[in-house]
Amino acid sequence: MSAIDMPVAGPAVVPARRTGFWRNLWTVLRRKPSRMAGAAIVALFVLSGVVGPWLYPDNLPRDNDLILAGPSLAHPLGTDFEGTDVLALLITGSRYVLVAAVVAALIMVVIGTGFGLYSGYRRGFSDSVLMRITDFVLTIPGFPLLLVLSTVWKFSSALQMGLVLGITGWGGLARSVRSATLSLRERGFVEAARGLGMPTRRIVTAELLPNIAPYVAMNLLIGVTTFIYSQVGLFYLGVLPFKSNNWGVMIQLAVTNGVTQTGDGLGYLMAPLVAILLLTLGVVLLVDALDEVFNPRLREE
Amino acid sequence: MVAFLRRLAGHLVRGVVMIWIVTTFTFVLIRLMPGDPVQTQYEKLLSQGVSPDQARAQVQVTYGFVPHGSWLSQYGDYLWKLLHLDLGTSVSAQGVSVTTEVMGALKWTVGLVLAGTLLSFVIGVLLGVVAAMRREGHVGSVLSLLGSLLHGIPQYVMALVLVTFLTVKVKAFSTGPVDGLLDPGFNGPYLASIVSHAVLPAVAFALSSFGGYLLTMKSSVVSVLGDDFILASELRGIKPSIVFRYVARNALLPLFTVLALSLGFMIGGAVFIEHAFNYSGMGAMLIDSIGNRDYSEMSGAFLLITVAVILANIAADLLYSVVDPRVRREGAGA
Repeated sequence: MSAIDMPVAGPAVVPARRTGFWRNLWTVLRRKPSRMAGAAIVALFVLSGVVGPWLYPDNLPRDNDLILAGPSLAHPLGTDFEGTDVLALLITGSRYVLVAAVVAALIMVVIGTGFGLYSGYRRGFSDSVLMRITDFVLTIPGFPLLLVLSTVWKFSSALQMGLVLGITGWGGLARSVRSATLSLRERGFVEAARGLGMPTRRIVTAELLPNIAPYVAMNLLIGVTTFIYSQVGLFYLGVLPFKSNNWGVMIQLAVTNGVTQTGDGLGYLMAPLVAILLLTLGVVLLVDALDEVFNPRLREE
Repeated sequence: MVAFLRRLAGHLVRGVVMIWIVTTFTFVLIRLMPGDPVQTQYEKLLSQGVSPDQARAQVQVTYGFVPHGSWLSQYGDYLWKLLHLDLGTSVSAQGVSVTTEVMGALKWTVGLVLAGTLLSFVIGVLLGVVAAMRREGHVGSVLSLLGSLLHGIPQYVMALVLVTFLTVKVKAFSTGPVDGLLDPGFNGPYLASIVSHAVLPAVAFALSSFGGYLLTMKSSVVSVLGDDFILASELRGIKPSIVFRYVARNALLPLFTVLALSLGFMIGGAVFIEHAFNYSGMGAMLIDSIGNRDYSEMSGAFLLITVAVILANIAADLLYSVVDPRVRREGAGA
């Protein structure tokens, strides 16, 4: 199966490889141990988000004698201000964060890719209208906007949180998908498809989309991490009421219970922060591998 | 020149439209709030024994419009006040106009952001050049990974780690507002106090944002190094130091746009750092106003943060045509 390498116009445009994605991914992952580590880290977080909350009872046990304790055998990451195990909090708190971030990233990808493809392929009036909207979304400072929105919308479920994050965060992707589409639509194979009289819908879905998909996939992954940061940030700043535990709530409670002032219970504050760091590392390494799968020219170097 | 002015005019028109949309948004938002804050303040004043006329006047001073009016007339009042740069008065700090409050917070944020951005720009550019030169070896890959990681992690991670370890474990820096007992002005103790409060936030800011400059600079240098004119200069035996200057001048171009854009976003983007270090800038003000349900202050702060982004966008676009003659010539031809 050899894909034909075509000259590439923009950074986002790479020839589509329709076969052997998983095999390619595996080969590329094995080439560097760091990439395996990245994939393992990401898999670990996904696992903890999916099965984590089932591993623990709904009300986590409290140990009143061990308040803000340091790491020990029974509590590998220490305990919080109520004597709850921090590791348990971290694992049970991952689902909300991950679900909201994945929902947001999916919404971002659907709107961003849809707008970008339509705008770039149609051009003309609808393009300029859509791009004005995109510019608007890009210019409004995202995080302050979320802060202001939090006064009327309490984001009570992870799905709602994801919805709002996704709706405010698709601008950048729409812009880059549009510019990739603009350069793709002038290329030979798209022109040939038009010449053959293929319907527009088929050109967009069968010719353009596969070429943009790799770029979109990488953005999906990076999007998940950015959306995790924003929601953890919202909870950390304490502008949202919370019913259940999540990483942001942990940080906020650690700060309001004086961990940054006294230094007691450092594990409680650091656990979510290190989790975020680890997840970022995992995603950065995995994106590096994906880049090489999708962009075979990188392999020669 | 005409092309330049036309572009500037287009930008300004779009900017004004955006500001109008944002102000409309915050107006609608305040009216949509659960428990209508405008009505709440009015009723609270009545229950305190204030006469209805006075209460109405008081509410108008705070929000720019009277309670009970139709949305349309309230909206008209609100916009009219905004045109006169009157953002209403703060609820939490009674009697102080929001404009005064916002301007007071703005100077702290601008100081922090300028220092932090300059620092991160310099670190990022220097390390970016190193990463590009050594891109084959370990130094390059370590720097790139470090860049992606620091670019990736949110600011509060850096801020909280620094706060915890440097102000608590090692009592090296102070947090909180600058000591009110000191005589503000251009004198030694006051300036020293500002510096000791601002160094750590600025460092946190720089550490969490130099990664972006590093990555941009690296890819920019790598692409310039591949240009024919660099090869030609090397073949002609031009001194490496001069070749380096060619590379640097061309590679820095994209960085200026990033710099101008980030300056705009940073007015509102230092929220976490200001919150973590208890630094009284725009971001901290926005959060406090939400916490205090002080909505006129909140919409004022949000408006200013958005205006900063719009201005930075315009500046970035115009700056690029100034530093890159190629764009200028194309613009003149069009």
